[in-house]
Amino acid sequence: MAKEEFLPSTKSVIAVPNALISMRNIWKTYQMGIEELHALQGVTFEVQKGEYLAIIGPSGSGKSTLMNLIGCLDTPSKGQYWINGNLVSAMTDDELAQIRNKEIGFVFQTFNLLARATALHNVELPLIYAGIGSSNRQERAKATLASVELGDRILHRPNELSGGQRQRVAIARALVNNPSILLADEPTGALDTKTSFEIMALFEKLHADGNTIILVTHEHDIAKRAHRVITIRDGEIEKDERIR
Amino acid sequence: MNIGSGFYENLKMAFATLRSNKLRSFLTIFGVIIGVITVMLISSIISGIDTAVKKQVEAFGTRSIFLYKFNIGVNTGKRTQEERMRKPLTMEDAEAIKSLPTIETAVPFLNITSNFFGQKILVTGNNGKTSAAVRLQGTLPDVEKAGSEILVEGRWFTQSESDSKADVCLIGATVVESYFPFESPVGKTLEIGGREFRVIGVLQKKEQLFGGGGGNNDQSNAIYMPIGAALRLKPYADDLFILAIAKEGKLEEAKDEVQDLLRVRREVPYGKPNNFAMETAASIIEQFRSISAMVFMAMVVISSVGLLIGGIGVMNIMLVSVTERTREIGIRKAIGARQSDILMQFLIEAATLTGLGGLIGLLIGWALTFLVRLVFPSYVPLWAPIAGFFASVGIGIIFGLFPAWKAARLDPIESLRYE
Repeated sequence: MAKEEFLPSTKSVIAVPNALISMRNIWKTYQMGIEELHALQGVTFEVQKGEYLAIIGPSGSGKSTLMNLIGCLDTPSKGQYWINGNLVSAMTDDELAQIRNKEIGFVFQTFNLLARATALHNVELPLIYAGIGSSNRQERAKATLASVELGDRILHRPNELSGGQRQRVAIARALVNNPSILLADEPTGALDTKTSFEIMALFEKLHADGNTIILVTHEHDIAKRAHRVITIRDGEIEKDERIR
Repeated sequence: MNIGSGFYENLKMAFATLRSNKLRSFLTIFGVIIGVITVMLISSIISGIDTAVKKQVEAFGTRSIFLYKFNIGVNTGKRTQEERMRKPLTMEDAEAIKSLPTIETAVPFLNITSNFFGQKILVTGNNGKTSAAVRLQGTLPDVEKAGSEILVEGRWFTQSESDSKADVCLIGATVVESYFPFESPVGKTLEIGGREFRVIGVLQKKEQLFGGGGGNNDQSNAIYMPIGAALRLKPYADDLFILAIAKEGKLEEAKDEVQDLLRVRREVPYGKPNNFAMETAASIIEQFRSISAMVFMAMVVISSVGLLIGGIGVMNIMLVSVTERTREIGIRKAIGARQSDILMQFLIEAATLTGLGGLIGLLIGWALTFLVRLVFPSYVPLWAPIAGFFASVGIGIIFGLFPAWKAARLDPIESLRYE
């Protein structure tokens, strides 16, 4: 899967890193007419299994670009990105889709649930794309919904659920295929303070259960709940500090 | 990804989407429905007519040769100058054909339905009923041997009745129904063209090409009488039709002999086409076949237009659907859907849409064939629903391909951001 010879930036053979996530000199460049916009300029960091990391930065800092790269929604213009031993930066679209399915669980600010589908079907979706059979799938989806305390809401549609409940459905969907990373993009951005606390408490519980969590946010209060904070500014890592 | 379960999942999702857009879905597949109804109706009519024609013509016998001055079967357009100038066939022609070695018998039928002035000859019964629509034919006793009409009651007229121009007649099943609904007609009388005729026989009901009504096409709405009696009703009648029956296994030779004989008798110059028509059961069936082939082509065109309109509708609505569901596509991609998964999802959705239209069309068309059956003898050939269904599914796949491809190629990041 990993074909290093296709990457002009890495002529030498580099050993597969031990870290869960390894970003090495990542650049992302957008062509805006004749001008080149460097959204990321040589970002390098590693994330170990079981870490609880927050990525913080003002808008325009390159934070979203970095999140898209971590989430394998996009590939870097330059540099190497390894996740769980896979060299993502050299992958095709379909290989990326499979990595997203297996390794990443997304939690979005606006939940991004399928409006017409029940909570159960929403949580089943990643398993459908993983090719898991119907009965096994339902069982796992139900168990995951129960673990986020929505066992009694499995047949409700998103519009019949509160914001906090919707986000918990989204978290269940992110968790159901046992991903390596839970990648949350402003997960409390659309929630009131009380519900935000509930969701953050859930993240802490999930972290305590051994999940690796990456939280992308612009709120310092939320970032402070993590154990490590990476601050991004102008496409570069400004600070990388362990706070707990 | 497991294709089987993926297909099933996609089908389930497709139905869920259709359910949430009922009206729009229905409007979209309207063209497909019309197309499939057309296939069902026209194919059933064609097969019905085909079978009826075959039955009716074969009822005259596979050894029969039909002779007439004009074309038999289907007339298209006006007769040409040459055709209008043609002399009628004569009794003597019939007599000469009868004596050919390959011919078993030849029977003339003199049509006197309308009299010399073009007026219809009226038939009045004792029950007070009067009709001008009964086909009146003068013929010879040989008709019994020709086997074109089957006697169910009474007898044919004898040679002596024929020679003496007796006012006796045999009546078809439709005539029995209208003039003698509650009694046996044999021995009763009918007034034909002002003369009193005694009914001596009843003929078997014939397979009808076009049902009901007793119109001109009703082969059973006929009265047969001796030629002499017919000539008395219409003195200069010359509208003569000859039915010749070939000897067993001699049909082809008989056709040649009859043709040669008539060409000589009617003085057709060498190298010129016949100035009369000669048909057999097979050739008349062939004529109808070529017409039904034309109708079939028309059907293909009409239903293709329907399906094409349906297809464009499907493409349009699928493009709208892809735009509307950009975010959904983004979500699906984010959680692991590959391009092929999205492509399949939208293709199956389009095919389900049109396939459903096909099924609705089949049901409506099938129901309508029952109505058609009241007027035409029709049945639905097996290929019609099968072809209709597969064509509609195929339309969905063909016209769904572009929207599905667009959906599959959407960028996940932009799609997730789409409002």
